[in-house]
Amino acid sequence: MVIHDYKLGTMTEKQLQSRRAVLKTAGVTGAALALSGCLSGDSGGDGGGNTLEVLHGWTGGDGAKAAEAFFGGFTDEYPDIELDERPIGGGGNASLDQTVANRLQSNDAMSSFAGWPGANLEQYDGVLGDVSEVWEEGGLADSHVQEAVDACQFNGGYAAVPIGSHRMNDLFYNVEVVENAGVDPSSLTDIDSLITALDTVASETDAVPLVMSLAPWSILQTWAVVMLSTQGFDEYMNFIEGNGNEAAVRSTFETLEEIMSNYISDDAASSDFTELNQDLMNGDAAFIHQGNWVAGSYIGEELEYGTDWGAVRFPGTEGMYGLHIDSFIYPADNPSPEETASFLQYTGSEAGQVAFNQYKGSIPTREGVPTDNFNQYLTETIEDFENASMKPPTLAHGLAVDQSTQSDLQGVLNGNFADPYDVDAATSGFMDAV
Amino acid sequence: MKRILSYVRERRRKRRVRADGGTVDRSSTVRRWLDRDIVRSAPFWGPPFLLMGFFVYAAIGWNFTLSLTDFSGYGEPDYTDLGLGNYWTMLQDPAFWEATWHTVVLLVVFTVACLGIGLALAILLDREIRFKRTFRTIYLLPFSLSFIVTAQFWRWMYNVENGIVNQFVGLFGLGPYSWLGDPDLVLGAVIFGLVWQFSGYTMIIYLAALRSIPKDQYEAARVDGANTFKMYRRVIVPQLRPAMVSASVVLMLFALKAFDFLYAVFGGYRPRQGSDILATLMMREAFGNSEWAYSSSIALTLFVLSLAVIAPYLYTQYNRGNL
Repeated sequence: MVIHDYKLGTMTEKQLQSRRAVLKTAGVTGAALALSGCLSGDSGGDGGGNTLEVLHGWTGGDGAKAAEAFFGGFTDEYPDIELDERPIGGGGNASLDQTVANRLQSNDAMSSFAGWPGANLEQYDGVLGDVSEVWEEGGLADSHVQEAVDACQFNGGYAAVPIGSHRMNDLFYNVEVVENAGVDPSSLTDIDSLITALDTVASETDAVPLVMSLAPWSILQTWAVVMLSTQGFDEYMNFIEGNGNEAAVRSTFETLEEIMSNYISDDAASSDFTELNQDLMNGDAAFIHQGNWVAGSYIGEELEYGTDWGAVRFPGTEGMYGLHIDSFIYPADNPSPEETASFLQYTGSEAGQVAFNQYKGSIPTREGVPTDNFNQYLTETIEDFENASMKPPTLAHGLAVDQSTQSDLQGVLNGNFADPYDVDAATSGFMDAV
Repeated sequence: MKRILSYVRERRRKRRVRADGGTVDRSSTVRRWLDRDIVRSAPFWGPPFLLMGFFVYAAIGWNFTLSLTDFSGYGEPDYTDLGLGNYWTMLQDPAFWEATWHTVVLLVVFTVACLGIGLALAILLDREIRFKRTFRTIYLLPFSLSFIVTAQFWRWMYNVENGIVNQFVGLFGLGPYSWLGDPDLVLGAVIFGLVWQFSGYTMIIYLAALRSIPKDQYEAARVDGANTFKMYRRVIVPQLRPAMVSASVVLMLFALKAFDFLYAVFGGYRPRQGSDILATLMMREAFGNSEWAYSSSIALTLFVLSLAVIAPYLYTQYNRGNL
């Protein structure tokens, strides 16, 4: 029999059968391949469940360098564990958080992900596993600072292991600019002296006195440090515990309004903090208040501490250490329990903490870590941490309040205190939110 | 395959010749039902119908069901206690109304501006001017770029201190303005960026429609004494209505999906005050706050808005027999 096919022309039935057999084989093989592709797709596993998949948001600059050193150290120490490191950048941590939320929601847990411990863990209630064994085996509870130990506890066990701590109450400055203005940052001891210094910079130089992003999280962290400075540790703790004093909250907003209305740059609303920090590095700005991740960027740019840039405690917060902690969180239904346990042991170890923090601008939460690899600024920060009498947990980074409350506070700031500044609305919004 | 071939042969054998030269099937009503056009064509429309039904319409239905629960955080939603509580909360939420207002303003202003500018560009390029192909490419180029890229362009151009927009208005002694920071300006600035990107698309749609109008209509209008303005107003533009309707629907649907642009401009789900739209609010509630049920109710509102945009178009097309 002769059959005509518009694509293949004329062929015999035997040829056609042969072609069908080939197509059938190809189809079955293709389907099998597609199916195996689907199955191994996003989980990143190899079917055996022993690939360690870690999600984090350190994709650029100092963060990327710190992550490279950290994960490089891990693969050196555990060469047999297959590591699938997934940096997810964008939108601060918004893209990472979205990916984590999606994966956990669809029961597609990763081995571990970077996130804040403390109240921030509450949002993951029901999908976190217990790594108490990791803590016991590594003796982590005895070797880490108590604040980090407490922050990683969840539902009677441990759900995370800390990797490092940023300081939240530093005021960074460009040495040359403040010298030109005749300002001595070490002499600033309260908010009034800071405002006087900002005035001096404005009148004596062309530099912006204070660079500050109007991103809600950025305003929130500065609000917190202004409250600590002007109202004290106890009022701050009362506020985050839901017993805020309205007069203290209002006064904080009034002070912040004075600073933001007069001393920050015009492009604050449309610039992120990395762009503004670049202004400081270029000598176009005098001061910036940020977590000390900006120190990581100065270290990355090979700027000299004391010569190019400096840091003092935010005036009025001497003796305090504004506490921020990063950690690796452990999801339940873990695809690689044993490998993740090894990874978390490494996270809490001296090797892991040194590898990461020396580049990140943060300090180890592990106590007694040799400071040989840390620069002078970080060494001083480690000493300050040990000597600090008060360690207020950060309001803008998950330690003090849960994620929903933090989001509400940011909403209040975005709606009422991001130029123009409405003290009344912001005060009542804050009092209602916490 | 062998089974199918033997089935076809069997069916042919069963058919017998009718008196009028046709064939009649001896089998039952089931067989007659199987011979109906809709059933016989099922292999062609069935798979896409099922896929669309499952992945689109079932998902919308599921989204609606989810919006009736109180699902938040992680775990499984409780479908035993359904209610309209989320919609009630939504109606009382000032953030929802603000986002809805911004969405509607963006939708209307963006669409009207794109249609107007696109029409003007199309008419200009339809005339015998030099380098018209080059201009056409230049105007269309922004449309080919991703929102992520154009958003970064506009971030730079709107920069308060050294952005080109403030440099330009500065020539007239104005500004500098905080285009992306001032709550009164930010929505307008976002709309302007979107119009810049989409006017080229509208221009192409109009240009195609203009090219399909016979040249003798232009000549007839001229012979009848119409000047250029009258010729376009009375003769040409009325014939562009179908193109305008199609372009409007596409533009309005794009306006409802302006999320990407805002996300890229503001680096997150929380745009500056004055530019929050329903899409960003929905994302924030879902992935920022894990309020899945509440965000589903916002998503459904967006869906209803999309329907409101597309339904009149579909109805008109149906009445004209185009569907």
